[in-house]
Amino acid sequence: MSQTTEAEATETRAPAPRRKAAASGEDTTAKKVGKALLLATIFVWCLFPFVWLISTSMKQGNNALNDPNLFQGPFGFNNYVTVFEQNFLYNLRNTFVVAIFTTVICIVIGSFAAYALARLPLKKKVLWMSGVLAASLFPPVALVPPLYEAWRTLGLLNTYPGLYIPYIAFTLPLTIFILVTFFSSIPMELAEAARVDGATPWQTFYKVVLPLAAPGVFAAAIIVFVFATNEFLIASTFAPRDLEVQTATTAIAFFTGASQFERPIGTITAACVVISIPLIIMTLIFQRRIVAGLTAGSVKG
Amino acid sequence: MAVDTEETASAGQESEPPKSQSRGMSERTLARAFMAPSVTAMVLVAGFPIIWAVFLSLWAYQGRERTGFAGLGNYVEAATDPRFWDSVLATFVFTVGSVFFEFIIGMVFALIMNRAFFGRGVTRAAILIPWVIPTVISAQMWFFMFNITPGFINSVVPFVPADFNWLGTDYWAMFAVIFADVWKTAPFVALLLLAGLQTIPGDLYEAGRVDGATAWQQFRNITLPLLRPAILVALLFRTVDALRIYDLPAVMTNGAFGTETLSVLVQQFVVQTPDPGLGSAFSTLTFAIVLAVGIVFIAALGRDLVIGAEE
Repeated sequence: MSQTTEAEATETRAPAPRRKAAASGEDTTAKKVGKALLLATIFVWCLFPFVWLISTSMKQGNNALNDPNLFQGPFGFNNYVTVFEQNFLYNLRNTFVVAIFTTVICIVIGSFAAYALARLPLKKKVLWMSGVLAASLFPPVALVPPLYEAWRTLGLLNTYPGLYIPYIAFTLPLTIFILVTFFSSIPMELAEAARVDGATPWQTFYKVVLPLAAPGVFAAAIIVFVFATNEFLIASTFAPRDLEVQTATTAIAFFTGASQFERPIGTITAACVVISIPLIIMTLIFQRRIVAGLTAGSVKG
Repeated sequence: MAVDTEETASAGQESEPPKSQSRGMSERTLARAFMAPSVTAMVLVAGFPIIWAVFLSLWAYQGRERTGFAGLGNYVEAATDPRFWDSVLATFVFTVGSVFFEFIIGMVFALIMNRAFFGRGVTRAAILIPWVIPTVISAQMWFFMFNITPGFINSVVPFVPADFNWLGTDYWAMFAVIFADVWKTAPFVALLLLAGLQTIPGDLYEAGRVDGATAWQQFRNITLPLLRPAILVALLFRTVDALRIYDLPAVMTNGAFGTETLSVLVQQFVVQTPDPGLGSAFSTLTFAIVLAVGIVFIAALGRDLVIGAEE
């Protein structure tokens, strides 16, 4: 098995296009400018709406609603003050707590399953993997009616477990899918060596394999965390109003004005910026890992 | 498979804390113990509720109170409800529209990034930003940008009257929702395709060039066939995601003007118009549709998907 993780793969493969360009010798200035322009287009397409969001969130008073001009001030931080006066900190805390619970539980039990599928003798592996994949296709809305009734009976509506239990079920298949790829890429010789030294299968797993798979486990953890902070259908259905549980996405969707077309644009955009900034910083720091995790399933090394 | 599930589940109960029993535990036992928690979680929270949804869908309700056995009554009601068929149509229009444009734009992005080594890292980081921003936030963002107030899109796009109501007009409301989805996920598709492109050896293109193949011929005969698994995986994930879309139409239009997708419809019947019977019938039908489409993709992918599982 000569699979490498995407992070390593990118590093080793990076010089390829460079060589190609040099060999063909057709990289004229015009071509370089063209390439730069194309890249700039992607850049603007991805980032521009966010610039609009920040600009709008800084506008004062009715200005945000009346003037589409991005650069028309006056600008200030009033909307942000309002957001925090509306207890948005509670929503952020709830999102964070639910996401942490989801991530930790999902990663722990997901790594077990992925290791079993990738490295341990298990019957009908292909069938198991197909089952995991089929589970990842599951539409969350199909769970809403039965779980709503179940949570109502069990008193789990408006509680943290009421949210993170379904999240774990939703993210497990993807987690397993990603981690199987990472576990498979670990050289088997190391595990063999541990066994020869007298380690039990469990010791082999957590003393030898797990540390080696740490980057992959971390990538999967970030992806699960992002899913849990993103989730809206379950959050808004099972914990719609209770400030102690309501998540940030639900709060943002339900910030309402007098009618559907009079939403308080300044406050909403400010809240959007507040929740996006930490996520964006996280993305920029762990960019390589996230890409590795996201593409793990689609690339065969 | 059913037998396996039971075996694994019971093995899990016997060996609760794997650590204490680790001495002497064989690899086969460990494998079962390791599978148990995940299988239990998925069966309890996803598998069992589905069966229960089918059960719920067979009963008649008045508000939240069960009033009697309805048999297939809810399904008949669902199948004869024009609202259901409208939402099936909306879901398919959304899925086909968004996946089509995401794929085209994502492919173009991926090809550009694969060729330009300069700035690829930065662009790849930028591409993750629409992915990481919660869908509800992009929904709010595009809601305001398409809205008459402040009318940002109307002021930027030429030939569009300042008071054109994108979100309040049939067809254009769907256009706006699709647009927001394409913005959010085309970069993600690009990322998956880029990963696939990087596994294609550069020599193949050089050989192609030597043989005088045009850029289009190289794309058609080298890139596309070798990219097949990555393309299928990207299409699978995107199609299934699009079929279950909820956030964008819920926030941008609340399902008005022909944008009520199946997920929005089901949520309506569970919370707003409480009718658990009919809601469950809708959700069971949604599940069946998504599953059918998913199976088609999995069949097309075959063993390409189960990397690492075969040893």
